[in-house]
Amino acid sequence: MGRNRTVLGRRGGMQKWAMPHLLKALGPRLLVWFVISVIGGVLLGRAELAQLREAFETDARISHRLLSQRVVQHEAVLATLALLQPTPPIGSAESAEQRLPSVYPQILRVQRRDGGASWSDPSLDQAEKLSRQTRGAVLVNADFTATRGRYQLLLAAQPASYALLIDLQGTVPWSEWSMPVQTSPVRVTLEHAGQGFVVQPGRITEQGWRFEFRKHLASESQPFDVVALRQVGWQELPWLAMALWSLAVAASLAAWSAWQRQRSARRRAEALLRVGQVARLNTMGELAAGMAHELNQPLTAILANTQAAKRLLQDDPGELPTALQAMDQAVAQARRAAEVLGRLRRTVEQPVSSAPGQTVDLAQAVRSALDLMEPECQRRGVTPEVHIDQAALVLAERVALEQIVHNLITNALQALDTVPASERQLAIHIAAENGMGVLRVIDTGPGIAPDTLPHVFEPFFTTREGGLGLGLSLCETLASGMGGQLSVQANMPRGAIFVLHLPLAPAP
Amino acid sequence: MSAPQSPLIHLIDDDEAVRAGLALLIGTVGLRVQAWADPQAFMRDFDRQGIGAIVLDVRMPGISGLTVLDQLLAQGVDQPVIMLTGHGTVELCRRAFKSGATEFLEKPVDDEVLLEALQNAVRQHVRSRERHQANQQARAHYAQLSEREREVLGLIVEGLTNKEIGRALGLSPRTVESHRANLFAKLQVESLAHLIRHYAALAAEADAP
Repeated sequence: MGRNRTVLGRRGGMQKWAMPHLLKALGPRLLVWFVISVIGGVLLGRAELAQLREAFETDARISHRLLSQRVVQHEAVLATLALLQPTPPIGSAESAEQRLPSVYPQILRVQRRDGGASWSDPSLDQAEKLSRQTRGAVLVNADFTATRGRYQLLLAAQPASYALLIDLQGTVPWSEWSMPVQTSPVRVTLEHAGQGFVVQPGRITEQGWRFEFRKHLASESQPFDVVALRQVGWQELPWLAMALWSLAVAASLAAWSAWQRQRSARRRAEALLRVGQVARLNTMGELAAGMAHELNQPLTAILANTQAAKRLLQDDPGELPTALQAMDQAVAQARRAAEVLGRLRRTVEQPVSSAPGQTVDLAQAVRSALDLMEPECQRRGVTPEVHIDQAALVLAERVALEQIVHNLITNALQALDTVPASERQLAIHIAAENGMGVLRVIDTGPGIAPDTLPHVFEPFFTTREGGLGLGLSLCETLASGMGGQLSVQANMPRGAIFVLHLPLAPAP
Repeated sequence: MSAPQSPLIHLIDDDEAVRAGLALLIGTVGLRVQAWADPQAFMRDFDRQGIGAIVLDVRMPGISGLTVLDQLLAQGVDQPVIMLTGHGTVELCRRAFKSGATEFLEKPVDDEVLLEALQNAVRQHVRSRERHQANQQARAHYAQLSEREREVLGLIVEGLTNKEIGRALGLSPRTVESHRANLFAKLQVESLAHLIRHYAALAAEADAP
């Protein structure tokens, strides 16, 4: 418990120290995230604005078309009235002109000036003159306010001329209108000579982007401007999409940097492994050179002395004392050689068992070894299968365990080299049996001949060209040093199974 | 010819047991051995005039056998050198031969191999010394000849008869004959074959410039 507390305490301290450090380390990534987020946000905003503008312009054009159609109708009605002239009321109580307002609700009233008479309103007289000149309908008494829009339309004819009083509110074809009048943000106004009638109020604010559409109605007599206005506020930008984008960018950046970190960690591990191997090889080379010298000296002396003694005895029996001396020398040198070997053993052998055991997950050790060896496996077209029958937490020294796993997998891969690629299989089983964690490395290589099976763990025993014959021997030494055991058996129908037993860690 | 000497083998190795063993072994074939523990002492003191050979260990504390070999070559030492090494690599071997080693043997070395190599080396050294001495003698004799005698010698070596030599040098055959007799006496040769074998090279050398 006490130990745990110290660890926790230290971790807390680390966090305090880590914050500015973290910010510093994240700085460039934060900047990248910010820039990409902003660029993406701007693009999203622009796309949204373009879409809104498109929709606005479509609505505005529809409004323009609908209103144009309606006002053109007014001209047609006048023309028809002028053509019909006052018909004698045969069998009907009222003339067609009096019935018009009930058919066209926007036409509030129809006025007629019969031949010889004059209009009650002098401005209508003037308008009639103008109408005669232009031979078309003329606009009179336009009265536009925000809430009310009225005007008269007059067409001079013979004998009677007609004038219509038209209400704009009724002119708008609400049934065909493309926008919801009350809620649409688009303001539609009909303007004429500085006056404006609001068809649709819309929502106009000061901030944001303004879209504007202005076009005369397609009618010579009623050339009102259809003005559509749309104010897009900040709140209408696609904030949610932008936020999602920004989150996505952050997530991808995090994933990317995690991937990078993992990759560089793997590279580092690979480099370390390589360095370790080179260092081991160098050590081996040094050892071999040193050993060669240390052993060759006494061997040289032994050989020279014994051969000299033999020659002396052959040539002249009188040289016996010299020959004996030579033999004594040879014996002394043989002892010296034995001492050299003893010293070497004492130097090389390290008491592994004294290392304190850690709790190591066998699966974890396998994963990290396979991680390191992925390129090797890929190169051979081998996909290792890992079966975890039971999780096994063993008491071992992590480095030694990883070395064993690494060596066993390397061994299996090398065995698989000698069989066709289609028959290469490598399986790794992890189990817990009888208080021991068990790791089985199973290959479908050529296997090990029964007569060599007992020798595979002997030092300098190898069946591989150029092999030192130390790998399995080292693994066996390491395994027994950790209170475990390494054994081998034949795989059916072909291949070898290396089995590593290690004591399970006591349950916490 | 100087007085004949029994060949002396110089054995340089820092390991006393190796020195003693090899010295005993070499001694069994009647060669004299002088063993040196320190290469520097050897370089300083050994007899450069003597007939014999040098057995040199490659790996020694302080100075490498290859360095010793290079120094011997630089000093014009003519004794053949046999290198001994505990672990011979191709590179080491190449360097040794490039530096003028006669043999390159690996420890532990078999008696037959070492002794045969030594005897060959000694024979080779004796021959080279003899050749050298003969050469020296020939030069001394040649120096005694007069200008005319040298001219006559050159033409004899080219295979001309007395008559032809006389014609070539504007002398009577009789005069040529007398020069020829003097020349044989001064050069201490008995036959024409002997003369040509020992002096053809010198005559050609004198002719060349």
